[in-house]
Amino acid sequence: MIEIKNVSKWYGDFKVLDNISETIERGQVVVICGPSGSGKSTVLKCLNGLEKFQQGDIIVDSVSLKDPATDLIKLRQKMGMVFQRFELYPHLKVIDNITIAPIKVKKMPVKDAVKRAMELLERVGIPEQADKHPGNLSGGQQQRVAIARALAMDPEIMLFDEPTSALDPEMIKEVLDVMIALAKSGMTMAVVTHEMGFAREVADEIIFMDQGRIIERGTDQTFFENPKSERAKDFLNKILF
Amino acid sequence: MDAYDWQVIPNNLQFLMQGLFTTFQLALVAICGGLLLGILVGMARLSSVRVIYYPATAFVNVMRSLPLILVIFWFYFLVPLMAGRPMGDFFSACVAFVVFEAAYFAEIVRAGIQSISTGQEQAAYSTGFNYRDTMRYIIIPQALRKMVPSLLTQAVVVFQDTSLAYVIGLKEFLRSASIVDAREMRSVELYAFVGVVYFLICFTMSKLTKRLEVKRGHA
Repeated sequence: MIEIKNVSKWYGDFKVLDNISETIERGQVVVICGPSGSGKSTVLKCLNGLEKFQQGDIIVDSVSLKDPATDLIKLRQKMGMVFQRFELYPHLKVIDNITIAPIKVKKMPVKDAVKRAMELLERVGIPEQADKHPGNLSGGQQQRVAIARALAMDPEIMLFDEPTSALDPEMIKEVLDVMIALAKSGMTMAVVTHEMGFAREVADEIIFMDQGRIIERGTDQTFFENPKSERAKDFLNKILF
Repeated sequence: MDAYDWQVIPNNLQFLMQGLFTTFQLALVAICGGLLLGILVGMARLSSVRVIYYPATAFVNVMRSLPLILVIFWFYFLVPLMAGRPMGDFFSACVAFVVFEAAYFAEIVRAGIQSISTGQEQAAYSTGFNYRDTMRYIIIPQALRKMVPSLLTQAVVVFQDTSLAYVIGLKEFLRSASIVDAREMRSVELYAFVGVVYFLICFTMSKLTKRLEVKRGHA
């Protein structure tokens, strides 16, 4: 469903992505890990056209992102995205954060959008927070709202950009639980994270990136127990203790 | 001249208040129109499209480098030429103020929009919003809140600036006082009165702005 073909990207002279190729099938969960500055987040942002790339192509459901005729606005409606810093809209209540895109973009009737939003809040476990403003919620709750907001557009794939790295340790689990449930429900997911417990539990494939390149890829077993590259071994040693 | 005779003010109060009313009308048009145009120009200043960015930037730089009084003169002669018929001093003053103040409002708006993180924009795009709706529903409402103190400060400045419409003969507050003065020869009393009224209105507005800022600072 998503095919990344030899994608390279530069910021000026600096090569952030170096010949990245990857295929994500429907229902698959792909975890991308690696040291900071390795280009993980940039890959995600290229997938939904938030960032441009100079070489190669990305094909989403047989639509090319490189093609100037491609309607990125349309394409993004198929992809939900969750950000490291939540990026909830602070001037809107939780419920409005979730309903605004369905109402304004999909022209969904307000009543239906609210009903759907409440179902989603139920699913992420915080329906009682609907009428609060995001600023009054904990980080974990905010990130769960952000997941609900992304799901409200009924995406076919969810992109997670370090969803737990801005959270206090005791809140990480509540967000991961939601993500694991989502993965098990069959959602296609691309997740940038260092949460190896999450990767072990639901990842179909793990990609290790460094300096803009994919250094290693494998299933959780092969990757964790027997990493091939020195770089990946070193990295795993550092984050797994 | 005799000693001060403050009776001149109550005697001409109705005429003076008409002038003050015109001042308020002009200020209201200048603030609302200037802000609306300023929002558009401010957004254009942030555009990555050259044909949008450059004219908007040129407009802001030119307007901010010219004395307001010159712009008022220009439009006084220009507006009837463009319209092909006399348009009246109030109308041409309105046009001049909206255009001039828009440049200042635009800079406030630009700074306000830039103060909202790009993450907010990306979040909106990621849920399928286009540029227009991202601005309309997500960025501008947040930016406007941040801009309120600067906008109010600018509004006070606009209110004071409207007295410059005096030069094209518009019967705003200051002009009304000078008309009364020409008849009654009570310059000290009249201009003192005008000064006190301007001071009271602007000082009150400034204080309110300050209080709003403090309140927001704690929020």
